[in-house]
Amino acid sequence: MIDGYKRLMNLEEPPPPKKAKGFFTDTSLCIGCKACEVACKQWNQLPADGFAITGNSYDNTGHLGATTWRHVQFIEQAKANGSRQEQRWLMMSDVCKHCANAACLEACPTGALVRTEFDTVYVQQDICNGCGFCVPACPFGVIDRVPKESTFEVGTAHKCTLCYDRLKDDMTPACAKSCPTASIQFGDVEELQQRARQRLGELKARGESTARLYGMPEGKEAAEVGPLHAFFLLLDKPEAYNLPEVPRLPRKTMAERYGWSAAVGIGFAMVAALVFRGGRQ
Amino acid sequence: MTGGNFSLPHGNSPPPLAGEGQGGGSAGTAGYYDYPVVRRPVWTWEVPAYFWLGGLGAGAFVTASLAQTFGSADDRRIAADGFYVAAAALLPCAPLLIGDLGRPERFHHMLRIFKPLSPMNLGAWTLTGFTPLAFARAGLHAADTGLLRGPLRALVGLVPRRLTELTGCLLGLTLAGYSGVLLGATNVPLWAKSRLLGGVFMASALSSGSAAVTLQAARRGAPEATLHRLATVESAASLGEMAILTGYLVQSGKAARPLTTGRFAPPFWLGAVFAGGLLPLLLHGFARRGHSRTVRSLSTAAAMCSMIGSLALRWSIFEAGKDSSEDQSASFDLSKAGENLGGCGSSI
Repeated sequence: MIDGYKRLMNLEEPPPPKKAKGFFTDTSLCIGCKACEVACKQWNQLPADGFAITGNSYDNTGHLGATTWRHVQFIEQAKANGSRQEQRWLMMSDVCKHCANAACLEACPTGALVRTEFDTVYVQQDICNGCGFCVPACPFGVIDRVPKESTFEVGTAHKCTLCYDRLKDDMTPACAKSCPTASIQFGDVEELQQRARQRLGELKARGESTARLYGMPEGKEAAEVGPLHAFFLLLDKPEAYNLPEVPRLPRKTMAERYGWSAAVGIGFAMVAALVFRGGRQ
Repeated sequence: MTGGNFSLPHGNSPPPLAGEGQGGGSAGTAGYYDYPVVRRPVWTWEVPAYFWLGGLGAGAFVTASLAQTFGSADDRRIAADGFYVAAAALLPCAPLLIGDLGRPERFHHMLRIFKPLSPMNLGAWTLTGFTPLAFARAGLHAADTGLLRGPLRALVGLVPRRLTELTGCLLGLTLAGYSGVLLGATNVPLWAKSRLLGGVFMASALSSGSAAVTLQAARRGAPEATLHRLATVESAASLGEMAILTGYLVQSGKAARPLTTGRFAPPFWLGAVFAGGLLPLLLHGFARRGHSRTVRSLSTAAAMCSMIGSLALRWSIFEAGKDSSEDQSASFDLSKAGENLGGCGSSI
């Protein structure tokens, strides 16, 4: 009978789970060429964002959004060293983190946001009704809804798919494929984590004392959203890259929020019942 | 190279000169320029309007139902008009909720799954369940008063009165409270920092809903004793609202600045706090001592203030939240280590 129902509703069996795929973005190798941004736009047929100039740096993209799924930050830093001024330039290609506990996925009321067989987080465009709840739910400011005046698929939420279509054909996502310095590395998450630990050890040995990994299972940033399947090697504090120290998962405080709401409602009902009852005598 | 003391030059200003900008962050923000950490919510005016009307309708239904169960004959007769108020307030709710979607024609996708983990899903189901109940109970009231006749009256007579009121109250309270929980279940500092926003919206819904019942009672020339009791119920909700709102502001701390000092400060302080909370309490206080001629007009004024104040509360908190989403340092504060630990809800 269940089989009959599935045939009637045209329900497919979900594909069998595969090894978790993800990105290791090693910012110490990034040269800021933006090939990843371009390759992502080309493969996913995303429209341009216009020619806005931020006036801050060579980063005129500004942030991830509905039609920008890779974003290269140019972080100019200066410090005084005696009478001289030292400068350095940190570059980082930002992307959806494909969290193990994804806030967007939990917020989604339609089930449009799903976890794929590659353990990535994916928006089903034919299901999303553009409620917009995933947008402020994401602690990283990744997912966004397409504005009405866009030339792109209007009204639904979008973010990096980890090139789900390419993964299905055993291909490397467009950004990783195009990266000329191997700053963006694609592969099985477990293997990438190994590689990241090794790379961090190398950098520390060379005196990069502030290098750190962001999004590993043992990191404090994984306390609520879990390990990030797209994780990073950073050369400064997460805040320097606009990354939250401990990204929040809204679910964690939800019971308490409902509790306060219910307490007020029950309190009112009791007071009102007493007041009305007092009028009966 | 040691990178510990590097900092980002602030905004458009040139990098600091030698000797300046010592120490991380002294020359500018801790983050990447002053760019926001989270995305700005895309919702528009339909959302606070829906929260207000849905809350008001739910509050009116709950007040009317409680009067049916516990009130005197006069209270029951007068407060039953609250079922009309509830139905009228709920009428535009579904269109508002649907109108805010990026793809309104896909509203029903909300109902393809039941996922109470998502407050948005829970709210859609609650509205879907509560609206017909409110209309059924309003129909029953119309049949009681002789407004409804013939076969329609017979049909409405099939509605189980007590069961409709009880389930309606449960769903109504959910509708009144989930909106604040929904906003709180995000990473917008103004909405998420304090965990009391669900309680604030619940109290605001109940005060505006009971105010709507008071307004209708005053209009219909209710006996003074009934009017006083309704005013007492409404004032209790207003007092609760002011108390929990204070807690919300204290807990929010710096994150509340877009609301308390930003461009939404006038509607918040004058609209939500003064007109919506303090003024109705004062007016009802006067009404208690006033002559019977003035009781009705004072109650009417108080109830209208309370309803308008409730709209101002939703609207100012909603809009200020959009500004709050662009507050980089508030976002960093929200996600500091240890910020989210503790509290009885942290272990689900």
